[in-house]
Amino acid sequence: MNRPAQKAFIVFLVVPSFLILAAVVFYPFVYNVVISLSNMNLRHIKDWSLVGLQQYYKVFFEPTQPNFYLVFLKTIIWTVVNVFFHVTLGVALALLLNQRDIKGRPLFRTLLILPWAIPQYIVALTWRGMFNYEYGSINLIITKYLNLPAVEWLKSPAEAFLACILTNVWLGFPFMMVIALGALQSIPHEFYEAANIDGASWWHKLRHITIPLLRPVMVPAITLGTVWTFNSLNIVWLVSNAGEPSDQTHILVSFVYKAAFNLYRYGYAAALSMVIFAILLVFSLYFMKKTRATEAAY
Amino acid sequence: MLNSLSSAAQVVRNLVLVTLLVLLAGCAKKADPHRIVIWHQMRVDDRLVLEDQIREFMAQHPGILVEQIYKETEELRSGFIVAAIAGQGPDLVYGPADQVGPFEVMGIIRPLEDLFTQAYIDSFIPEATCLYKSHLYQLADKLGNHLVLIYNKDLLPTPPETDVELLRVGKELTRDTNGDGKTDRYALTWNYTEPFFFIPFLTGFGGWVMTDDGTPTLDTPAMVEALKFIRDLRDRYHIIPGEADYNVADALFKDRMAAMIINGDWSWAGYKKAGINFGVAPLPRITSTGIWPAPMVAPRGYSININVAGEKLPLIVELLKFLMRPDIQLRTAKALWSMPTRREAAESEFVRSDPVLRNSALQISRGRLMPMVPELRAVWDAMRPSYQAVLGGATTPERAAKAMQELAIRKIREMNE
Repeated sequence: MNRPAQKAFIVFLVVPSFLILAAVVFYPFVYNVVISLSNMNLRHIKDWSLVGLQQYYKVFFEPTQPNFYLVFLKTIIWTVVNVFFHVTLGVALALLLNQRDIKGRPLFRTLLILPWAIPQYIVALTWRGMFNYEYGSINLIITKYLNLPAVEWLKSPAEAFLACILTNVWLGFPFMMVIALGALQSIPHEFYEAANIDGASWWHKLRHITIPLLRPVMVPAITLGTVWTFNSLNIVWLVSNAGEPSDQTHILVSFVYKAAFNLYRYGYAAALSMVIFAILLVFSLYFMKKTRATEAAY
Repeated sequence: MLNSLSSAAQVVRNLVLVTLLVLLAGCAKKADPHRIVIWHQMRVDDRLVLEDQIREFMAQHPGILVEQIYKETEELRSGFIVAAIAGQGPDLVYGPADQVGPFEVMGIIRPLEDLFTQAYIDSFIPEATCLYKSHLYQLADKLGNHLVLIYNKDLLPTPPETDVELLRVGKELTRDTNGDGKTDRYALTWNYTEPFFFIPFLTGFGGWVMTDDGTPTLDTPAMVEALKFIRDLRDRYHIIPGEADYNVADALFKDRMAAMIINGDWSWAGYKKAGINFGVAPLPRITSTGIWPAPMVAPRGYSININVAGEKLPLIVELLKFLMRPDIQLRTAKALWSMPTRREAAESEFVRSDPVLRNSALQISRGRLMPMVPELRAVWDAMRPSYQAVLGGATTPERAAKAMQELAIRKIREMNE
């Protein structure tokens, strides 16, 4: 192929993906930035105009119910607790499944991936039913087998938030488990054989071989998991039935969703979503840099 | 060199063209003037009835394709707003009349007076042709969307007529059948999470949600009394479950673990299918005020997307006239116990003699039309947290009423800023 034809071919390969990216990423992003600087709402949906940083001011300083900073704090708790359990449970189970002497490994692997395979909508509504005070299976187990008092899971703010977290932990650990299992299987067995010859304990092998070699795979997965969890609307929205009780279980994305689609405050919701974007961008860059995720492992 | 450049450019041009054609192929269907798309939020039973009617219409009108697409209520509203603002969206959008207010303010639905004659509009019962800002924006095929008292006839032959009777039968019906200290059957249940289900209690104590100009009226003695009443039903008389959302309440009634439920006309077909020997009765009168509870009543019907092209309008009118035919409405009423909107059907022998529809009509006559103004959205949003907080024991009725009012005023201001 001569050079102009080669260039044309390269352009051909790039143009479709560029067009799609422009249509589904760049254009909506720029449009969102513009809306965030506008007064677009119920009364100004077609005749909106630019109002500068007014909506950003409202995000940070306007009194809201629930309070923005409280929702932000809850979002951080939500994200940290979820990702912590996703990773620890996922890696722990992956380590177990990576043992060669475990019988029925494929069966366990399939069973442990199940939460991930069920549609989130079904999972959320099933767990919501399980958290019912009188008829839910969780309280039945607590009262009947543990002889503890029943918990008002969906009626009290803290318990309702905990219910959302429990559901999301159950739903999220298989992803980390699959990623960790793939990474574990790619670690050359010779490293462990050499460590065995040197008399290394299980803990030493974990600390000096397994964890360092898991890191390049797990760091991007944790970054992705953090962004997903931070932006995870479905579970909070469906388990808490749109922030119940009394709008006390919102995280930032459900708060944005409500502002945009319940009260038609499109400009405000766009500004809030830009704030979320900025938070996640800063976190991702910082985390990737700190953990040196892009450096080679071997 | 020049040759190869020009052939390369041609290849790229052709390939980009093909790519664009593939990308834009999805838009081709929209331009079809013989295809009518309906978005609705009907439940399964309603959907099946509509499907039959559409099939019949298409058989009578070869060449016209009518497609109905189900969307959950919130998804329908937000999706329709986004699509219509962008000049797209379905031709018809179906739902309760309260969606007319926001859609009109946004300018995404069109008035219907120029499409139907006044004589035709007059052939509907007056409650079904609600005007918004002096225009008709919705052609309703059903009237209601209202709450009633539904009771299991096997457990309760005669429904209570007053709150005093309700408490009396409530104590008899609430049972711990196996003696384990836990209630196995409650007298009454409803969805505690949505303030829509609280409106009959509020109106029973003489309250309402807003004035005619959209100012909230939530911090009133009626609100406080109504909140106290439902709290007492649970915490003092113990005749309703401690916790119930829509699904739980529905399941309790279907599993015969609740003798009565407050639910809407959309649920009756489901109870019939579940084999419940049920009856429908007006909600019991509040003795202390002497007022019958007034649930919100709303027509449900079709609005036309502002973007519908002129040449398509006659087809849409044809379809709407078919769906509104009195005989079609009567068929729907027989299948779903829905209240017809055409006078001829609403005054038919079937509607007057069927016990479910007769009591439904009685409840409608005691009901109050749901406001169509967008501010209602803010009122619901303001009522919900405090209503839930009272039932959760986190606040008092007095504080809840005050908080509702303040929040509603603030939300309306934010919505309209």
